[in-house]
Amino acid sequence: MTNETAAGRACRVAVSGVGAVSGFGWGVVPLWEGLRAGRSAIRPFQRFDSALHRTHLAAEVAAEPPAGLARACREWRRLSQADRFALCAALEAVAGAGLAAPFADADPTVGVWFGSSTGGMFESEEFFRAFVTDRRRARVGALAAQQVNGPGDAIARHLGVTGPVATVSSACASGALALGAALAAVRSGEVDVALAGGADSLCQLTYAGFNALRSVDEGACRPFRADRAGMSFGEGAAVLVLEPLARVLARGAEPLAVLAGAGASCDAHHMTAPDPSGSGAAAAVAAALCDAGLPPSAIDFVNAHGTGTPLNDTAEWAALQQVFGERAERLPLTLTKALVGHLLGSAGAIEAVATVLCLRHGELHPAPGGARPVPPAEGEAAELPPLPASLVLDRPLPLPAARAAVSTSLAFGGSNAALVFARWAGQAA
Amino acid sequence: MSEVLVTGLGTVGAYGCGGDSLRRALAAADPAPLLAAVDRSAGYHRAGGARSALLAGTGHLAAWLAPGEARRMSPPSKLAVAAARMALDCAGFADRRCGDEAASVVVATAFGPSSYSEALLRQILFEGPEATSPFLFTESVANAPAAQIAILCRARGPSVTVCQREAGVLLAVGQGAADVAAGRAPAALAGAVDEMTPLLHALLDRFAALAHVADTVDIARPFDRRRSGFLAAEGATVLFLEDAESAAARGGRALARVLAWGSAFDPTAPQAGWGTGQAFLGRAIVRGLTRAGIAVGDVDRVVAGASGARGGDRLEALTLREVFAHHPLPPVLAPKGTVGEYGGGFLGAAVLAAAGSRFGPTAGFAEEDPDLGVAPYDGSPLPRPSTVLATSFAAGGAASWLVLGAP
Repeated sequence: MTNETAAGRACRVAVSGVGAVSGFGWGVVPLWEGLRAGRSAIRPFQRFDSALHRTHLAAEVAAEPPAGLARACREWRRLSQADRFALCAALEAVAGAGLAAPFADADPTVGVWFGSSTGGMFESEEFFRAFVTDRRRARVGALAAQQVNGPGDAIARHLGVTGPVATVSSACASGALALGAALAAVRSGEVDVALAGGADSLCQLTYAGFNALRSVDEGACRPFRADRAGMSFGEGAAVLVLEPLARVLARGAEPLAVLAGAGASCDAHHMTAPDPSGSGAAAAVAAALCDAGLPPSAIDFVNAHGTGTPLNDTAEWAALQQVFGERAERLPLTLTKALVGHLLGSAGAIEAVATVLCLRHGELHPAPGGARPVPPAEGEAAELPPLPASLVLDRPLPLPAARAAVSTSLAFGGSNAALVFARWAGQAA
Repeated sequence: MSEVLVTGLGTVGAYGCGGDSLRRALAAADPAPLLAAVDRSAGYHRAGGARSALLAGTGHLAAWLAPGEARRMSPPSKLAVAAARMALDCAGFADRRCGDEAASVVVATAFGPSSYSEALLRQILFEGPEATSPFLFTESVANAPAAQIAILCRARGPSVTVCQREAGVLLAVGQGAADVAAGRAPAALAGAVDEMTPLLHALLDRFAALAHVADTVDIARPFDRRRSGFLAAEGATVLFLEDAESAAARGGRALARVLAWGSAFDPTAPQAGWGTGQAFLGRAIVRGLTRAGIAVGDVDRVVAGASGARGGDRLEALTLREVFAHHPLPPVLAPKGTVGEYGGGFLGAAVLAAAGSRFGPTAGFAEEDPDLGVAPYDGSPLPRPSTVLATSFAAGGAASWLVLGAP
């Protein structure tokens, strides 16, 4: 049972480890190197044949995981791609936190909160094709690896987790919502350690579905730019280890950042289109700031959801203006999706890791600048009115004194989530 | 921390619409008249496998869903919105909208909108990606039912969809209760929805997960020595949760009090099966009760998620024996013998148990399994319970529980 008293809220929660798998590779180091360089991982991909699809780019994870990972996991061959991404990110995060795994029962009490939109859908598609066309080739047992809860469960099984395990599947807000739930569990004392994040892999269902909505850019996405024309897909996973700050300090470890607050809301407006007023997204950010006990003026940058679709970015900008007022135009915006694509159920998690890394390194990663290489085709919409946001483009923006940052996630169905991270500057709570 | 009450119950299943329909079905404890033949014409099923399911259908929801609204929804969205409106109606909101728009929505689903996902995959894989319907895609996402509830019931608080198989429903209610207790939302619509399609039924049949009895109707036998699987089912159940102070202020009537919730995981479980972690699962439940200030001996009724699954019922029984190792095991209700395997029917039964509804004997149970040591409720008269422990164990390792108090 969650016992979120005022004393519970006073418990500061540290990010003690992070792990990631992205289009830049398996690990946090390639992620940060790629982000800092501002080079896009969005390119032609191999996961499935995109020839018949409307678009042909994605930030795909390279096929080969780190040496030894497959051997270390008994059930590796039975895991979906998303499960594998999740497991790799979790192992990296736990090792980075300096925790010994597998965990013993209840000492510490460990829980997993995970986001995924489609879990093992890529493998389900292969199964379904075989099942319909030639049932003898379809192994029903393989379906076991194809649940939405597969990635979180795989982490829990492999690491011997005996505490709560919950999978959130609220489309693109899943990862951030999972982090918010994990934060509440650590604050309340329900767990000593939370592994929170998300995982998703490329699959035809989402690739064709978003293309059917004409929400996908034929080139690499250009969030918040006047010539934005849609999102780009990515895949991967990210995991953050959350613990009470005092627990991290007590064992002599150094926190990477503090997860100071979380907030969520729903537009209750439309299944696919965001509320153009941005009021729902603004409510989530305001709730996260309230939860963190911070005023808007304490925020020094935003890692925007920034899908690159005309409607989303416009609504998000309206939300940021509501929360930050005139200051919104001067507030640096970093746009992780411009580099690793949209990781759907894992987007909020990998953007949380990117935000932590920005705070940790004292600089914001850039998005590619420059003009769109291919002008809009005849019949395509003309350029949109520019959003006067302060985008970080082409080169990293040094921000060594950044105190805190907001990361936003805005999903299908109007589900919004926001997280507030604070820099760890060495002071005890 | 606010005290959280259940003041509204909405439910749709093979038993019909509303809490009274479910109450009658649980008292009758006979699923046979409710079973419907499943379409096996595609040839996906095993020869001699399961033939029936407890289907809710969506053709009888007109009182809860206008045609102009329904045309934009998948079957799970229709079921979920109807159940949410019933919950609001039951709670006393005549306009079937949340009294405070900051209410949260938390919905669990095991398989998501299966029929639309299947139709979408057929388009993509066999007609080509450009044939993909944007409408099917929009309503194939797991959180579509939660989003539709939020839109139509005006709930603008957190919107969360939980996918944790059989354990998801109690996780969802726990999350909703936590939102209210912590002040993140003034109220919550929390519950579960699932649909059963011929393809999903066939795949579960090929897993040998479904109950079937040759030459007679399919029967699930929770905790019985001869149990062979569960009855596939579909439907939706949504609870309206609010803090006691708000309920009192507006004259809301409590069906049950939410006393505690929690979850744990059994890492010994294989991907799609049950493990042997009853010892630490039992300890986790006892720790959770203790944290909430509830003594094990205070629990005077158990509503088990036992469905007739061989491994699942075994793990649940052994875990309950761990929990009650030093106390007599209270009467154990196993409503999935009547309502089948979908989280909503089980959740509705747990609320009705706390509210003091009468249950019939456990459907399908006849012979105790000596390995389990749990004989579910036999229909003999029982006093109204004061503290009800509901437990749900998922294939794959997750487990969740909810403690409800009498109103």
